[in-house]
Amino acid sequence: MKEVAVIGGGMTLFRRHLLETGKELSYLATKMAMEDAGIEKDDIDMVVMGSAPDAFDGIHMKGENLLDGAAGVGKPYVRVFNGGGTGVFAPIAGWWHVASGVADICLVVCEEKMGNTYPHPQTAFRHIWDPILDRPLTPNLVWLFAMEMNRYMTVHGIKKEDIALVSVKNKRNAVDHPCAQLADPNITVEDVLNSEIMAWPVNRLDVSPPSDGAAALIFCNKDIVHRFTDDPIYIAGTGWSIDSTMWTNRDLYFPQYVAQAAKMAYKMAGIQNPRKEIDFAEPYDPFSYKELHHLEGLLLCKKGEAPILTREGVTQRDGDLPVCPSGGLLGVGNPIAATMGQKICELYWQLKGMAGKRQIPGDPRMGIGQAWGDIMQMGTVMILRRG
Amino acid sequence: MGFLEKQTDPTSPMHWRGDMQADYFYPSGVAGDKFFKHLMENDTFLVSKCTKCNKTYCPPRLYCEDCYVEIPNENWKEVPPMGRVKLYTVAKLNAHGKKLATPKIMALIDIEGTNSAMLGIIASGDIKKDFSGVKVKAIFRQKDMREGTIKDILYFEEI
Amino acid sequence: MVEKKEYKEWPPYAPGTYVRESDIRDKKITYTWWEPEVQYSWSLGQAMSKFLLGLKEGKIYGIHCKPCKRVLVPPRMFCEYCYGPTEEWIELPDTGIIETFSISYLDPDARRIEDPILVGVVDLDGTPPHHGFMHYFGEMTKDEIKIGMKVKAVWKPENEREGSITDIKYFKPLKGGGD
Repeated sequence: MKEVAVIGGGMTLFRRHLLETGKELSYLATKMAMEDAGIEKDDIDMVVMGSAPDAFDGIHMKGENLLDGAAGVGKPYVRVFNGGGTGVFAPIAGWWHVASGVADICLVVCEEKMGNTYPHPQTAFRHIWDPILDRPLTPNLVWLFAMEMNRYMTVHGIKKEDIALVSVKNKRNAVDHPCAQLADPNITVEDVLNSEIMAWPVNRLDVSPPSDGAAALIFCNKDIVHRFTDDPIYIAGTGWSIDSTMWTNRDLYFPQYVAQAAKMAYKMAGIQNPRKEIDFAEPYDPFSYKELHHLEGLLLCKKGEAPILTREGVTQRDGDLPVCPSGGLLGVGNPIAATMGQKICELYWQLKGMAGKRQIPGDPRMGIGQAWGDIMQMGTVMILRRG
Repeated sequence: MGFLEKQTDPTSPMHWRGDMQADYFYPSGVAGDKFFKHLMENDTFLVSKCTKCNKTYCPPRLYCEDCYVEIPNENWKEVPPMGRVKLYTVAKLNAHGKKLATPKIMALIDIEGTNSAMLGIIASGDIKKDFSGVKVKAIFRQKDMREGTIKDILYFEEI
Repeated sequence: MVEKKEYKEWPPYAPGTYVRESDIRDKKITYTWWEPEVQYSWSLGQAMSKFLLGLKEGKIYGIHCKPCKRVLVPPRMFCEYCYGPTEEWIELPDTGIIETFSISYLDPDARRIEDPILVGVVDLDGTPPHHGFMHYFGEMTKDEIKIGMKVKAVWKPENEREGSITDIKYFKPLKGGGD
């Protein structure tokens, strides 16, 4: 197995509606990543496209539709998808291509156009439910998150105020991200608690927005990385795991599948004590409680401890374990697969010291990114290491 | 029935009927928006040409898919909406398999002055004719009825 | 040619063209509208058929996975954990406890409603902990609903039942069971 390095990253603006087609968005993100690496289309051996359901863009087999924007014409090309987990699963698939030796340089592109489902992506989300058992009850996806959040809060006795702190932190962090959709420098806990209740216990400001956007990453193997940089960032570990769709047969308070994916990644990276050895984290935060839920799933703290760390400021950018320094999904936006921009591109830029105003102090050397998807099922994890 | 039991009653298992309801809104894209906005005011096609390989795209693109370079504004130009039929077929059934009242002639038309072809309908009563290589031109909706979609081209007509 | 760009901060710019809702309403941009018509007829499969026919009769059926020693509801032909076939149906009581719930002010089309919908997961009696299905809760207020509350199914009258999860109208509090 070859060691894989990240040599370029790029992403587009995230907004509810962007004029660009999916292909054009893929092009813009890839172009930025190529500018970072200093390569062009002919240098790329293989391409991986990550994009969540066809139902959002409204183009069946959208992997094939997007490929020309993703520099895929005439190349070995594959599209991977596992719902929200795609943002980290696509880079994992890119890692397979290079680690196995079949590609020296692999491009990973993630794209999403949620604005195409009209009037709201909820119409597409409706079809994730089982058609026989769940859809006749006409559920709304927010209900599912609300039920999980309720279970998490009840089992650990967590108050909404502590969870609202996550929205406040991430939306404030996002002010320093040029692509951010919902940054707010002045947001407070009261704002979150007073925002309209969607499905208790979820308030409007606890939820990330649907977005259009794209992100790209370029990987190469260790043998040739010296051509691109003297200070390589390596993929230290990857992990992925999925649980059953029978979500009503599980206790939702702890994401077992995230823990399994994390253990796989820590083992590969040779990490024995995650809390000590990981310098910062980008867990998936489509809802505010999810950041806490996933921090515990990533074994970075004990079960029920994540809200305490947040309250004590440990997860701020200048804290002991910065979490979502990019602004996460809550602040930057949630174009499902393209959240690779905040989850993995961010790790890469932070480790290189290129994150600008978002830069974490203190020379971070190891970061972990995680995504989550489907019906409370998929956990995907990637660890990046400097040098 | 569990897996280990025999299934002898043909009326069970049952089926569950449903549909996928969703409406879609597809913005034309940066290149497409320019093309359609131009088409609303003019009876010509805007096309774009790659600086590296000289391939001319119709409808126009923001970037060349082969060379992967952006096509700058200076490389856009207008061409008359004409071309030659490259391939065609006569459709007698609609998308749901029902017979059409009048058969439709669907054609792929090489647009003159470009390296691209566009899909279009040929308006002709003569479905037995061989349209290969025939020169055609686009007939548009009236300007005040144009909406900025591909349907602003009504059909192609033999010249 | 793409040359390497030596920006100090990444991402150095945010490419993309923002389109506001008003731009769409006022037709400042061109777009194509499409309403797909897709119809489905999903096969229920053997296990789900029996489950739904059971609901029509006013019964909730579960099935055993012997190696895992659990009763599965909703039932399935195979156990997804040990990957073995399931066998031996069992009629379950129509009572349970609330595993989790939500108080929704959104209807299924994400429109706001005044009177919230109470929905959640019922952990059915006769099954291992945390096993059940999603359903509505009724005859209780949003201040009364709590995790752990004992509930019982309220069924539609026999002539209105059609073999669907909606043959149960909702679950109501089980009084007199000691809560």
